[in-house]
Amino acid sequence: MKGIDPDQSTMAGTTGREMKIEFAPELEAFRAEVAEFFATAPTPAIREAGRKTTSVFAPFKECMEWHRILYEKGWVAPHWPVEYGGTGWSVEQRFIFAEEYRKADLPPLLPQSLGMVGPLLIDIGTQEQKDRYLPGILNGDDFWAQGYSEPSSGSDLASLSCRAESDGDDYIINGPKIWTTYAHHANRMFMLVRTSTEGKKQQGITFLLLDRTDYPGMEIRPIVGLDGFPEQCEVFFEDVRVPQSGRVGEENDGWSVAKHLLKHERGGGNAASPTLMRYCERARAAAEKTPSPFGGMVADDAVFQREIGELEADIASLGHFEKLAISGHEIARDPAFPSMNKTINSELVQRASVLMTQVSGVDGLARQLETLRVGSNVEPLGSEFDLVSMPLCLNSRATTIYAGSNEVQRDLIARTVSGS
Amino acid sequence: MDFSFTDEQQMLRDGVGKFLEKSYDFDARQKLVNADAPWSADAWQQFAEFGLLALPFSEEQGGLGGSISDCVAFAELFGKHLVIEPYLGSVMLAGSALAQSGHAAAEEWVEKIVSGEAVVAFAFEEGHGTASPELLAMTAQGSGDSACLTGEKRLVHAGADADAIVVLARKGEGGPPAFYLVEAGADGIDARAYTTIDGRSAANITFNDVAATELEASEEAVEKIIADAIIVQSAEAVGAMGALVAMTGEYAHTRKQFGVPIATFQAVAHRLADMKIAYTKARATLIYTTALAESGAATPRDIAILKGQVGKLGRAVGEAAIQTHGGVGMTDELSVSHYHKRLLACDTTFGDHAYHFRKVGMG
Repeated sequence: MKGIDPDQSTMAGTTGREMKIEFAPELEAFRAEVAEFFATAPTPAIREAGRKTTSVFAPFKECMEWHRILYEKGWVAPHWPVEYGGTGWSVEQRFIFAEEYRKADLPPLLPQSLGMVGPLLIDIGTQEQKDRYLPGILNGDDFWAQGYSEPSSGSDLASLSCRAESDGDDYIINGPKIWTTYAHHANRMFMLVRTSTEGKKQQGITFLLLDRTDYPGMEIRPIVGLDGFPEQCEVFFEDVRVPQSGRVGEENDGWSVAKHLLKHERGGGNAASPTLMRYCERARAAAEKTPSPFGGMVADDAVFQREIGELEADIASLGHFEKLAISGHEIARDPAFPSMNKTINSELVQRASVLMTQVSGVDGLARQLETLRVGSNVEPLGSEFDLVSMPLCLNSRATTIYAGSNEVQRDLIARTVSGS
Repeated sequence: MDFSFTDEQQMLRDGVGKFLEKSYDFDARQKLVNADAPWSADAWQQFAEFGLLALPFSEEQGGLGGSISDCVAFAELFGKHLVIEPYLGSVMLAGSALAQSGHAAAEEWVEKIVSGEAVVAFAFEEGHGTASPELLAMTAQGSGDSACLTGEKRLVHAGADADAIVVLARKGEGGPPAFYLVEAGADGIDARAYTTIDGRSAANITFNDVAATELEASEEAVEKIIADAIIVQSAEAVGAMGALVAMTGEYAHTRKQFGVPIATFQAVAHRLADMKIAYTKARATLIYTTALAESGAATPRDIAILKGQVGKLGRAVGEAAIQTHGGVGMTDELSVSHYHKRLLACDTTFGDHAYHFRKVGMG
């Protein structure tokens, strides 16, 4: 359109940029390059791990192998600033990369290192911390666990009581952490500790980087989850001595560091909607082959069509939200953005995986832990879809609990509506 | 890639927004709804001066060559102010149908629409929320300047007040949909006028051997005109949702029960959160789909997703706003109920969310 002059209330003859989505021909070449890489670079084990991923957290060993392959290619951290190892891609290129990633059924990279502590250090780490830790995060030599929750501090994270006492150049840590995902695989850990009990509970917290996870006095115990897998851990600290040089931010100012990190944790550098859409594609494909009790196949059933249509529309909206955010639209500058993103995304994972189990029916009830192991030579009882639908459904009950329960998220969102 | 409004669009929003704030507040709007005239001639003239009536038409046709995102830019404000003027019917639908035909008589009507001299109604719905031109039953006999229409159209906005009517009907038995131009007051037209729940003037019209002029239209052109109208109507709905979220948040902050603001109750707070999530999802889908349409890349599935989401989420926001406001939310006096009714109307026209979700699900 032509420009409008508000004072004259008439149109003035200027043209500006338009709101458009354009995929230029060179982007199609980029798409072909990405697709070709995904078709050739992953090993068979990495592909198997992708198909057998039943959680946000893919099978560890193969996931890290894939991480290193992507690192070698220079594609491991598209959302990082280019001077730190990001790709410098345009928004369109990032969309294309995410779409092709989904189509190839590859394991998602683990979020703790690349999505959380890495971006945090880029933003507010000391030069020494960046030099020491960013290379290992990027190349996959290191994997970081997130030591936040405690047995008595879940949603009320600020009440945490795992203590760190200053002793010379060190801190001495005592206390338990729990729900520490993949701590048994991690060689480093970032954590919140209590350094003061004075003032408000948020004021005595400090953010620490742990160089190792095998310090004397540190014990890691995996917890078997409802899906049968040891994904979460308990971590116990007994007089564990760590250097103070691992502190991010000031002593007793760890809460603001954690809040900064939450932006990355809940905001998400990686879009979730392509994976969710992939779940729907799988459910549709399975529904094509599953007879409906009302005759025909489940895919022809009106109720199924209505349900999956509504779900896909909701996932599409999440995708639009994510794409607007990647492009820097004002919608992502809303203070409630990270909480809305987390809430929408987590509830859709649950809905999608529940729908998958409905398509599987009784074929989802067999417990097939050995078959799910990457490299297993045990044939699945039903289809590969039936093998993963139930573990995914069970595991996804966690999505509305972790990273701040959805009740906490809604409290935060509501504050931006009412100002109360 | 940038999904933000351009500077020109922002200026248009500011200009239209200022006018509506000043001359179209809720009390003024209610006076219009309850007046004898079907809408405000002054506001319509003001829209003409802003260039809104000329916006979607090409410069050769006296228009401004505006795009769909230009229309979305101000349509959100129409929703925020619950505008009752027949913009969607006369400009987006009838106007676009006339403009694309190249027919001489149609060109004259476009000029009159652009200047604000005439309003042309668009007759599409056939009684069940006609979601797609595929579902049309009404069939025209004859062709060219001697076509003839028989049948019923419902919910024709401005149907009894317009200077002419563009009717969407099949070109002969089992034929593709085409547009037909009918003069207001032509022999054989029987219009039963009413006001809709959301304050608009509308009519159910029976056509009994009514003389009509066939306007050339490809199936793609018909589809695109309906799709663009759905986008603009969705923008209105999203504007209404935004107004409800803001208003309900403020109410929950000030309204006290048990000695404290009701927003401090978690059950209320979480409903507010869900309202904001619904509004944000709907707005994200509106903006993204608009950008797709602007690039010529919006598929029928994209449009169905938008229509379904805005319909479902709009209903949810309206219902939550009433519940949070309690008794006063139930009254005619407060704007909350009127927003809810506008959102219900948006969901119901062009097929409701249940229809569109199933279309998405059918793949």
